[in-house]
Amino acid sequence: MAAETKPMICPSCGVEMNRHAEKLVWPTAPADRALVDPLLGGILEELHTCPACGTGGSRRGHGKARPRPSRSHKREP
Amino acid sequence: MDAGRPLFIPVLLGTSRQGRMSLPVAKLMVAELSGRAGIETELIDVARMPLPIDDAGEAIKDPTFSAQMNRADALVVVSPEYNHGYSGLLKHALDSCLKEYIHKAVGIVGVSAGPFGGTRGIQDLLPVLRELGLVTIFWDVNFSTVQSVFDESGALRDHAYLPRIDKFLKELIWMARTLRHGREHVALE
Repeated sequence: MAAETKPMICPSCGVEMNRHAEKLVWPTAPADRALVDPLLGGILEELHTCPACGTGGSRRGHGKARPRPSRSHKREP
Repeated sequence: MDAGRPLFIPVLLGTSRQGRMSLPVAKLMVAELSGRAGIETELIDVARMPLPIDDAGEAIKDPTFSAQMNRADALVVVSPEYNHGYSGLLKHALDSCLKEYIHKAVGIVGVSAGPFGGTRGIQDLLPVLRELGLVTIFWDVNFSTVQSVFDESGALRDHAYLPRIDKFLKELIWMARTLRHGREHVALE
């Protein structure tokens, strides 16, 4: 799984943030379903934190829509 | 390691029940945190959070609570046991955030009128906290027969709780420091 490689910049101090986690989240809105990773079954959210000031940020890990899987995938009700 | 920046460890009071005995517990935890160097804290009361009940999850995110969780390095959850579980309003509040919690420490303080100190509610809460991305510590504090632990003014009667709270907070602070270092300096491969 290739993650987003462009570094995230801290909005508070302009320092490059540290990408420390990826969390799989489940689509809850119809528009989110297009972002589901077909292999993982959910949307990959990247978590970043600034090493200078501690500000946290996040973004969708792949940053682009992927085709929906033909098989059913795990979802929250 | 970032000695200049204090850790922020708020206390989340997880019940809105009238006459709740978890309130003196939460106030005690805030007092015990406030007395430690390098720690900032505040009480977050779910009873005062403007959470609607006609929707759920991140759709009802309260900006104030979200900012508090973003700022937090760790969280103390005061969780009373109601009918062998945690309170519904606590779950409703916790579910309103997600990315704010990732790689942050959490410790649970169980409260019950009976003899088990909220242990059943704690056990049910652990997998929820894990899924939210929080990192649980292995110390809990269990307030059993809580109505006898505090006097009418809310002052602690049973001082045997203090050394237990000290152990709990030392572990939580260690985990908070360690996870802050990880969030800020250890990259995911």
